[in-house]
Amino acid sequence: MKPMQHRSVTQLLLALVFAFGMASGSARAQEKVNDPFEPLNRGFFFFNEIFDAVITTPVTSIYKAIIPDPVRRSIGGVFGNLDDLYSGVNHGLQGKGKQAGTDFSRVLINTTIGLGGLFDVAGDMGMAKSKSDYGVTLGAWGVGAGPYLVLPVMGPSSVRDTVGRGLRIASDPRTYLPMETRYSLTAAEFVQLRAANASAEDLIASSSLDKYNFTRSLYLQRRESQVREAREAN
Amino acid sequence: MSRFLALVLGLIAFTVTVSPVRASVPEDMIKTMAANVTTQVRAVPANTNGVTPQVQAIIEHDIMPRFDFNRITQIAMGRNWAKASPAEQKEIVTQFTHLLVRTYSNAINNLRDMDVVVKGSRSNGSDSDVTVRTQMVGRNQPTAIDYFLSNASGGWKVYDVQVEGVSLVSAYRDEFTSLFSNSGIAGVIDALKKKNSK
Repeated sequence: MKPMQHRSVTQLLLALVFAFGMASGSARAQEKVNDPFEPLNRGFFFFNEIFDAVITTPVTSIYKAIIPDPVRRSIGGVFGNLDDLYSGVNHGLQGKGKQAGTDFSRVLINTTIGLGGLFDVAGDMGMAKSKSDYGVTLGAWGVGAGPYLVLPVMGPSSVRDTVGRGLRIASDPRTYLPMETRYSLTAAEFVQLRAANASAEDLIASSSLDKYNFTRSLYLQRRESQVREAREAN
Repeated sequence: MSRFLALVLGLIAFTVTVSPVRASVPEDMIKTMAANVTTQVRAVPANTNGVTPQVQAIIEHDIMPRFDFNRITQIAMGRNWAKASPAEQKEIVTQFTHLLVRTYSNAINNLRDMDVVVKGSRSNGSDSDVTVRTQMVGRNQPTAIDYFLSNASGGWKVYDVQVEGVSLVSAYRDEFTSLFSNSGIAGVIDALKKKNSK
């Protein structure tokens, strides 16, 4: 996708999220789950389960079988290094200057002494990793989550968090790499992330009565708690 | 005697609210529970995984008595609780307790290489309702786990657990609500039984 198209998609999504956010922001107290697209979401959820069983799980288990744990952690560290950059930007946008400073120092130290993030030298120095993203920033600015969404392959989201995701993609230097490089990097990151979260997925599967409902509740609660924390910091 | 005890407890609760620096009774309870369970789990041979009889015993003696499963079920059922008959309520509590114990038992094996650090506590608007904040500290980023306790007739008991701001009881409430709206109390019981028989 060309950068130009990206911008217009982002603008459209932003307009959407603000419209939904303003509409839902006032109805915060209501107990009903905001999921008007449930039939469609359930469809994508089902698709994701199949995709997961047929593609992601086999790939992930091969990945886990052939790559030893310390190496996996290093690979996770390289992607995590880029995450720290975005966390820093977002902590900054949320007015958490001190945390943003820590994030940027982490990137600086881990990119240089930590060989591009292979080693979390900054973490060993006591600079704790702290994640944030554009979705939380929008939330901290007062944008409501809007309806719950299940994205194909990517999984649980909300209208606001999908816009956050769009912003992240648009501001990711990898987006402007040649297509094959970009896709293989994205796939590698996805597999890495999935391998790291496999036990959480198992727990959800074994503890839930209706996996769709359970996942939705966990996702929405988690996001609300992150946004609350970002708001309370100011 | 019990009046004297109540007075002492009341005084303790009073000092706790006045000076939050002092450790509270529920905070100590969580601390003791975590320490007990950690020591015992680490005594189990390291190469065993899953829920061995030893782990099962730890859960039954040191964890389950500290949880108020009646209250947990009641909150998770929300306003539909009142629509169940006493016999159905009893059945739901039994089944739900079984599901919770079964699914989260395995998690205590994590204590082999992780520690529970109690970070403090706060009152939830009354002296008999307290949140104890803890962190699981290990290899990765620490995980925040908050225990919600209330002081009922049987002493302090846990009625909700929040992991990184996610309440387990609320997650189940969403499930129970949708099961109830589809097929009533019978639907809730059936789903629980089906899950437990797997």
